[in-house]
Amino acid sequence: MLVKMTEETISNNLIPNPNSGSNPPPIKRKRNLPGTPDPEAEVIALSPKTLMATNRFLCEICGKGFQRDQNLQLHRRGHNLPWKLKQRTGKEPKKRVYVCPEKSCVHNHPSRALGDLTGIKKHFSRKHGEKKWKCEKCSKRYAVQSDWKAHSKTCGTREYKCDCGTLFSRRDSFITHRAFCDALAEETARITAAASINNVTAGNLNYHFMGNPLVPNMSQHFSSLFKPISGNDQVIDQSRHGLSLWMGQTSQGHGSVGSTISLHELHQISSSGVIYNDPLLSCLNPPPSDYQLNWVFGSKISSNNGEELSSTLSQHESAPSLYSTQRTNTTTHQTPSMNMSATALLQKAAQIGPTSTGPTFSGSFVLKCNNTDQVQDGNRICGLYGTTTTNTPPSSILGGGTENNNSTMNDLSSLNQLQMHPAKRQKISLSEDNGGGGQTRDFLGVGVQPICHPSSINGWI
Amino acid sequence: MDITLFTPKETQYLFNNNGHIDMQSTSHASTTSRSSDSGEPSGAAANGKWASRLLRECARAICEKDSSKIHHLLWMLNELSSPYGDCDQKLASYFLQALFCKATESGQRCHKTLTSVAEKSHSFDSARKLILKFQEVSPWTTFGHVASNGAILEALDGESKLHIIDISNTLCTQWPTLLEALATRNDETPRLKLTVIVSVSMERSVMKEIGQRMEKFARLMGVPFEFRVISGLSRLSELTKEELGVQEDEAVAVNCIGSLHRVEVDERRGVIRMLQSLRPKVVTVVEEEADFLSSRNDFVTCFEECLRFYTLYFEMLEDSFVPTSNEKLMLERECARSIVRVLAYDDHNDQSGVTGGGDCERRERGCQWSERFKEGFLPTRFSDDVIDDVKALLKRYRAGWNLVLPQGDENNIGIYLTWKEEPVVWVSAWKP
Repeated sequence: MLVKMTEETISNNLIPNPNSGSNPPPIKRKRNLPGTPDPEAEVIALSPKTLMATNRFLCEICGKGFQRDQNLQLHRRGHNLPWKLKQRTGKEPKKRVYVCPEKSCVHNHPSRALGDLTGIKKHFSRKHGEKKWKCEKCSKRYAVQSDWKAHSKTCGTREYKCDCGTLFSRRDSFITHRAFCDALAEETARITAAASINNVTAGNLNYHFMGNPLVPNMSQHFSSLFKPISGNDQVIDQSRHGLSLWMGQTSQGHGSVGSTISLHELHQISSSGVIYNDPLLSCLNPPPSDYQLNWVFGSKISSNNGEELSSTLSQHESAPSLYSTQRTNTTTHQTPSMNMSATALLQKAAQIGPTSTGPTFSGSFVLKCNNTDQVQDGNRICGLYGTTTTNTPPSSILGGGTENNNSTMNDLSSLNQLQMHPAKRQKISLSEDNGGGGQTRDFLGVGVQPICHPSSINGWI
Repeated sequence: MDITLFTPKETQYLFNNNGHIDMQSTSHASTTSRSSDSGEPSGAAANGKWASRLLRECARAICEKDSSKIHHLLWMLNELSSPYGDCDQKLASYFLQALFCKATESGQRCHKTLTSVAEKSHSFDSARKLILKFQEVSPWTTFGHVASNGAILEALDGESKLHIIDISNTLCTQWPTLLEALATRNDETPRLKLTVIVSVSMERSVMKEIGQRMEKFARLMGVPFEFRVISGLSRLSELTKEELGVQEDEAVAVNCIGSLHRVEVDERRGVIRMLQSLRPKVVTVVEEEADFLSSRNDFVTCFEECLRFYTLYFEMLEDSFVPTSNEKLMLERECARSIVRVLAYDDHNDQSGVTGGGDCERRERGCQWSERFKEGFLPTRFSDDVIDDVKALLKRYRAGWNLVLPQGDENNIGIYLTWKEEPVVWVSAWKP
């Protein structure tokens, strides 16, 4: 009966049952690529009705239907069949692939058939089926019950905390509150105040540093950088070595702490992800006024440094892109025109490679990194930031500077978080991720102390 | 509010020998039966909806110009009402004020006073606190936000330069979620230009601060953003594309929340034509479901409709906020102005010419607005996703709120938010 049914369904379908060699793809692909089946396989085209039928396995004796083959076999035993008939009509388990009955679907074509019956059933439901399962809490609908179950487990379990300390269980009220929250305003006020004390340059410098989330592996790599700068030569060398990834140019030798560090040195330091502003820089003389660290930050630049930025940008293509994701937290001088969207920049950053980063976002969002498995939450950024006393960029929802001084990235729950929009609407998926809570480290380097006291900062704050 | 309406002599007249107010002797049709208790506020509470009865009586008396009855009822209402009491007492209080103004034809003055008082105590902080708190406890406003944002996002999907013209009373609380959606939904985050049209002077002053917050937030979200404020609600129909800064390559969406009813009735048609001229991809309209227009010449009917609507509103506030909420009180006070405006401040008899200022309060029902919009636009349905979002939103609030979809019928456009089965807010989307 089973065999009969199969034949019936096939003959009912438009696609005849091709034998081996049916439409092999012109280029022989790997077998385990999804939707590109073994050309030797038998292509089965089931009708939607059959596909969705729950009792596909029919007993040839009494016609009873079962969901699984095992169940059918168990049942057949009860018919007291003579031994010979007990055997299955000995055919070899032939490799079967299934096509989607929906004509407009890409999987309708035998060359894109799926090898798993359950898979094609789920696919058909998800794409072309009616969404019968609905989440109670958020009204999201699902066609496949297992999808729905999986969602229900996580729905509504997240909480959002604003800088100001208020807790929200609803994402929309969190977002609206955040937009109007005084904490948001304060951070920018601090930044602009800082900027007005120094040059704009310096302000940006600090600012950008602050905003620069550091990838854990990077920070570990360069943790030595955070040691007192007085012993800098070595430190810089190390960093230089490690930073060759970003530095298109070789750095020049630099003098002692007391001397002005050249642009490149500081580039290295900065691109190594020095998140401190104050301590590190305070030990240096204030850079020359034409110090253009802003180059680091991609397309977003303060009005002063527009030209320089664009020129340096062309030289350091890979590096700036890392930081160019900071578009969101640049100073108020930001130019309205953006070359790349935040998400595109994210993707670019992701492409740079394992040593680079992952979502080096300017701390615009920090996700509750509990969900480390949700890597496909594309815009997740685990923002890290620096010392805090000043200059937390306005974008850092991560919150208010002061409390984070000693917080480690492990303690993400204490950070303000904004969970990015659920996967449904995500089109970006970053393969590189900080890995969430597990990998995050104290960006200050493990156990590294601030180099200098903030008070000795030469107006870098 | 101290209204001394009666001289001691008159008061004596009203009381009969028992010391109780003798309704029978003063009114012809004594529909209020429980006169014996009417002297004391606490006793009146047992009468249930005494406020609406008295108020309606009074309205009718004003219409009939029965001055002794008017006096009597006003006096009673004054005794019984309080802006700090229960729902009935509050309604009595605010409507009493309107009725008094109507009877004494001092509506315009009263309105002005109320407005200037409110302006003095108005600030960004207070407004923000108020509106956010209201949105937290009640979907009255957020219903419209979610539906509109959904419609706007879908209509402008794929565009890279968006221009939203916001003619609303939301103080931009609608936009953060939209900005967030823009940032996360697409690979290419589009640019957004937001032009807000204000008129109510109170709103103007806080707009600057709001604009800054919006800009900051947009930066946070990583959305290229431009914010502009235009004053022009009073002459909405005369605005031009140039004034609004609409450029050729922009995809325009117009968002009208709670603002169309502020346009002078005669101008409304012109406004719709103006909107047409902007060639928007979508126009979203959110209005409260009440009809103060068709009965504008019939005081009693208008009054009843007004009473019905504000009773619903006050009860909703009572149910949503905690009893001691300051925000609730402020929202109720804001109603005072509107009520006086509708009932006692007759546009026809406005001696001083065009009041302008965009403070008209002639609300219309969804079906009425639909008739207007049909002249220049085609209605669009809200997609299933948007409906789902709205339903999910309602779930996050207390029970009693519901979404009502149009029933197949051609004339049923838009979706309604209902509170205890009564439609209160209407949302619709229109395409050119």
